[in-house]
Amino acid sequence: MPKDTIDLDTLGTRVSAARHATESRGETFYPGASGIHLAAFPPRERWDDWVELDSRAWPTRVERHSMLVPTTCFNCESACGLLAYVDRETLQVRKFEGNPEHPGSRGRNCAKGPSTINQVTDPDRILYPLKRAGARGEGLWERASWDEALDAIAGRIRKALIEKRHNEIMIHIGRPGEDGYTERVLASWGVDGHNSHTNVCSSGGRTGFQLWTGIDRPSPDYANAKVIYLISAHLETGHYFNPHAQRITEARAKGAKVVVLDTRLSNTATHADYWLSPQPGSETAINLAIARHIITSGRVNWEFVRRWWNWAEYLDAYRPDLDRTFSSFQESLSALYDSWTFDVAAAESGIDASTIAEVAEVVASAGTRFSCHSWRSAAAGNLGGWQVSRTVFFLAALLGAVATEGGTFPNAYNKFVPRPIHTPPHPGVWQDLSWPLEFPLAQNEMSFLLPHLLADGRGRLDTYFSRVYNPVWTNPDGLSWMEALTDEEKVGCYVALTPTWNESAYFADWILPMGHASERHDTHSYEQYDGQWVGFRQPVLRAARERLGETVTDTRQVNPGEVWEENELWIELSWRIDPDGALGIRQYHESRARPGEKLTVDEYYGWMFERSVPGLPEAAAAEGLSPLAYMRRYGAFEITRGQGAVFARAVPVDELVDTTVSPTGRVYTSAPKPASPNVVPTASPAPDESGRRPVGVVVDGAILAGFPTPSGRLEFYSSTLASWGWPEHALPGYIRSHVHPRELAPDQLVLLSTFRLPTQIHTRSANSKWLDELSHTNPVWVHPGDAKRLGIARTGDLVRVETEIGYFVAKAWITEGIRPGVVACSHHMGRWKLAGHDQVSPGGMMATVALRLGEAGWSMQARDRVAPYASADPDTRRIWWSDTGVHQNLTFPVHPDPISGMHCWHQAVRVRPAQPGDSHGDVAVDTAKSREVYRAWMARTRPAGSVSPDGTRRPSWLMRPLKPALPLFALPVDAR
Amino acid sequence: MTVSTTSRSRGAATPAASGRFELLRALGSLTALHGGAAAGVIAALDLPPWTRAEHTRLFVLELPPYASIHLGPEGKLGGEGADRVAGCWRALGMSPPPDADHLANVLGLYAELGEAAETCRTPAARTRLGHVRESVLWEHLWSWVPGYLDAAHRASPAVGRWSRLAAAALAREVGVSAAPHDLPLALRAAPPPVTAEMSLGELLDALTTPVRSGFVLTQGDLAGTAVLAGVGMRRGERRFALRAMLEQDSAATLRSLSDHAHRWAALHAVRPAKATDPHLDPSRWWASRAATSASVLRRLADESDASV
Repeated sequence: MPKDTIDLDTLGTRVSAARHATESRGETFYPGASGIHLAAFPPRERWDDWVELDSRAWPTRVERHSMLVPTTCFNCESACGLLAYVDRETLQVRKFEGNPEHPGSRGRNCAKGPSTINQVTDPDRILYPLKRAGARGEGLWERASWDEALDAIAGRIRKALIEKRHNEIMIHIGRPGEDGYTERVLASWGVDGHNSHTNVCSSGGRTGFQLWTGIDRPSPDYANAKVIYLISAHLETGHYFNPHAQRITEARAKGAKVVVLDTRLSNTATHADYWLSPQPGSETAINLAIARHIITSGRVNWEFVRRWWNWAEYLDAYRPDLDRTFSSFQESLSALYDSWTFDVAAAESGIDASTIAEVAEVVASAGTRFSCHSWRSAAAGNLGGWQVSRTVFFLAALLGAVATEGGTFPNAYNKFVPRPIHTPPHPGVWQDLSWPLEFPLAQNEMSFLLPHLLADGRGRLDTYFSRVYNPVWTNPDGLSWMEALTDEEKVGCYVALTPTWNESAYFADWILPMGHASERHDTHSYEQYDGQWVGFRQPVLRAARERLGETVTDTRQVNPGEVWEENELWIELSWRIDPDGALGIRQYHESRARPGEKLTVDEYYGWMFERSVPGLPEAAAAEGLSPLAYMRRYGAFEITRGQGAVFARAVPVDELVDTTVSPTGRVYTSAPKPASPNVVPTASPAPDESGRRPVGVVVDGAILAGFPTPSGRLEFYSSTLASWGWPEHALPGYIRSHVHPRELAPDQLVLLSTFRLPTQIHTRSANSKWLDELSHTNPVWVHPGDAKRLGIARTGDLVRVETEIGYFVAKAWITEGIRPGVVACSHHMGRWKLAGHDQVSPGGMMATVALRLGEAGWSMQARDRVAPYASADPDTRRIWWSDTGVHQNLTFPVHPDPISGMHCWHQAVRVRPAQPGDSHGDVAVDTAKSREVYRAWMARTRPAGSVSPDGTRRPSWLMRPLKPALPLFALPVDAR
Repeated sequence: MTVSTTSRSRGAATPAASGRFELLRALGSLTALHGGAAAGVIAALDLPPWTRAEHTRLFVLELPPYASIHLGPEGKLGGEGADRVAGCWRALGMSPPPDADHLANVLGLYAELGEAAETCRTPAARTRLGHVRESVLWEHLWSWVPGYLDAAHRASPAVGRWSRLAAAALAREVGVSAAPHDLPLALRAAPPPVTAEMSLGELLDALTTPVRSGFVLTQGDLAGTAVLAGVGMRRGERRFALRAMLEQDSAATLRSLSDHAHRWAALHAVRPAKATDPHLDPSRWWASRAATSASVLRRLADESDASV
């Protein structure tokens, strides 16, 4: 190669000068990945005018200019960041991609995020308020104005409040919008009417964690873990998996081992180093055997245990015969779990003892880098499932892997809920329909029992809202829900707040159209690593127009049709309930800046971001923005990183005033609790007899923050369980599942029904055509050995799956991905609409069904399955599938766990080849039988009236989404 | 891939030093940037523009500029070749970017280290960073980039001026850096050269692995070889195409390949040497590999003739 004759120094200087000049103009000299690489993101300095070529114009080069506006995905709870590409010419959203500024999702999304565009442009979405025209469920509707709807609903609520019928108002939410928002609306009305789906979802898992830490969710630091131990595929491949999965992937790249306990070969299991497929309900046995191994092999982090477990309380309660010394506890602990050998766990689980031993050694070697999680799955499937998460955390607590790098944190350390502008007081009523006396320790509202409690005559509802929730479809025993919702004596007025038609909305009196991810305001924060962030969901067209200098005062001005958002809806509705402020409601929905005027969302979030998000005002000022403008521009803000062991922080001296110390070291103070900008929910241990609040715990002579538990320590021994009627379960231990082999008849199998498909999310992802094309069926997984025994010849053959109250007909999928003796069916499919409901579009997922009530109960048969159809979207002509799956949840009776209150989803079923006349998707249910099962499970409870140690109906320290005032905790007179 | 284009904005680096390293960063960036994104850099370097298609053909299809391809034991992306470069980032306490061994990123790192050294407050820190920068030069740049630039120059006249500039800028770095004490690790640990005893599959692997054959064999080189050997070239990846050529006329193909190896041995041999001991000079090492390949291929061609 000939030598170059150019002076390299001159050229270098020239390049440097060019770079300097380019960057001085605010442009990028090395555009880098943004312009050319699929894996990169538009740099934020270009978000006002991002240029792409229009792929549909190819081969002509046509530039499309977009404004990039952040928001937050609404298709699951993880709240991943999205960037809406708003076309600068049409001011319509062209597409959604990831927001690289979001600390949790870091620009990455699963399929559900970008599919938001399908929901926004869905030709069949509900655009206007609708009022029922015929009988409930008849399918006749007329368009109404928002004024008409709000006046009618507000009038009912106002009347109920004036007549002191507060308990006749209820809002039932699906996945949360903004943390605490709906609770505060209800509190402002003085109503204890918050109802959630949590007891059909995660409350079993939550219970186990709360009993240990006083905080009901874990936050594993996956990215830095040495060993990742997962019971369930749920979180990492189904639910809010994107932020977790990407960090698990990082950990694996650094050599971490992944252990997955899942009876089914889930997506997570396929990525595991160890996949254990245990007998459903035996997961706790495996955990206990691993715990024993940690103890017997000398890997317990004894110093951590000595400092942070409530071992002294355990000795006081159960071993008063021993010296009150730590060495006594060490000996006692070893003896307690000595029976949980690998052989015993193997006998329970069906996993080889040698395999369990190998996994136990992997776990024991993790030290403080042990990340674990258990959410739905086993904790949601089994009687006593809450012991699954209690024993999972047991392992972390033995290893001292609590709030360590690579360990498992309480989620409140890694979550930030900014204090809002108004905080109404606790309501002065107790809702027995959600918090019945039979379940004093229930983790969340007993939502799935509502139809039965109404049928028992325990109350009625004047006005019932469902908020982006579909109780008929989601809950077990959905036809009992349908019976309740169609009975105007039980439910006076049903208001469905929903973006799309669903199985519950058919029976509503009012349908109010709500916005999708890019059409509503919310803040969010979730535990996804050891740090705290706040994400902002916003109506992107509102933000886009404001960037262009327009003023938007009502989100309906920019949303499609008359689609609204909840925040403005609740403010407006509250004003109409209390127009003159006489009921004391309006004050919580008024402007602070302009007293007497309505609160606006700009003021609501402006106040919050200015005062309750540390660091945000400064970051915004550095860019010449207000905090609200910063969040509208970037969509998320990271507040802290590296929280570490919050429990080990010293209590500030100024919080130690007039202190007392309990015999177990709990410290109480008369100093008021400092106002924190973060109102993340945790348990709230009771004050001492003199009303001093618990402030910390004495550890080796120092007063440290400790945990929000009664003892202030990690509660190996739960004094709450012991004193509230369940002393036999006060320690991490084993509860035999209702689907334990001993409980099954010889011809029964266990049905796993709780697993998700990664590309759907209940009915919330409805009308996403891309997702529907990916996932539209839910076959029954059957092991080849079982298939042969049951006479199921091949995959695709129809089978009848019989439960306690009926049966469903589905296609079989013969696979070795499921344990013999167990069948599995995802709950994500089986969408339906009633014949005659022509206002509901064909859609891509809903079968049209005939629903009949006969002598044997309800029967549902598909009349028409999905097929191509004409609409504003040409893709609806391209539907190539006809399968819609089966709605299995209809055939499940309620199974309330007597302690956690969790619905125990696993079913004992009989599976046989379909009968003559059976058709795919058929369902038969006898709701009279479901009443019998309900009563049988209620008989397992130990009601507060018989077990309460202190005359209250529930331990006041336990978490409760909306807590009534303390006096309301007293047992009703007739229950004592 | 993501191009590492960060540079210290502390402004303490001397203009001359800044220009010296900015030049290397800019030259490297052009292997990743193209079209409008590259326009500013191309103009600043006073290079003739190249089309997006030419960029893709050269830097994406024919000669992806990754150290792992040229130094890795299998001549493929990733693996040990990439890990060595990524390990350099980690050793510095930095997270390696995706495609850490892409030429744009390695030159970006080199430039970053050079600029950082200029802003060090203590001579000791400056010396330490200087050692690190020189190790990047010897281990991850000078060990393969000269050959790569020769190949690029042969493959695409459009980037001829760019490759000459890059070669000159790199040679200047070699000239002002202390001589290495050893061959780069990738060359010391390189798998064995081409031998006459190899099976056909092993031979194909070796010929398409630069660190084994001592030369770069692009699709364009194969096409030229096919013409000279009088055989047809089947469309496909290089091993497939080469196998098809050998199946048609092994003697002629092997002879043509031997000539190719000879040319490469000569190319390597004329590069300026830095190490005092010729055995420690990478160019000599590459020349020796290529010469070995030329000799073995010639012998195989002769044997093939004899067998016919």
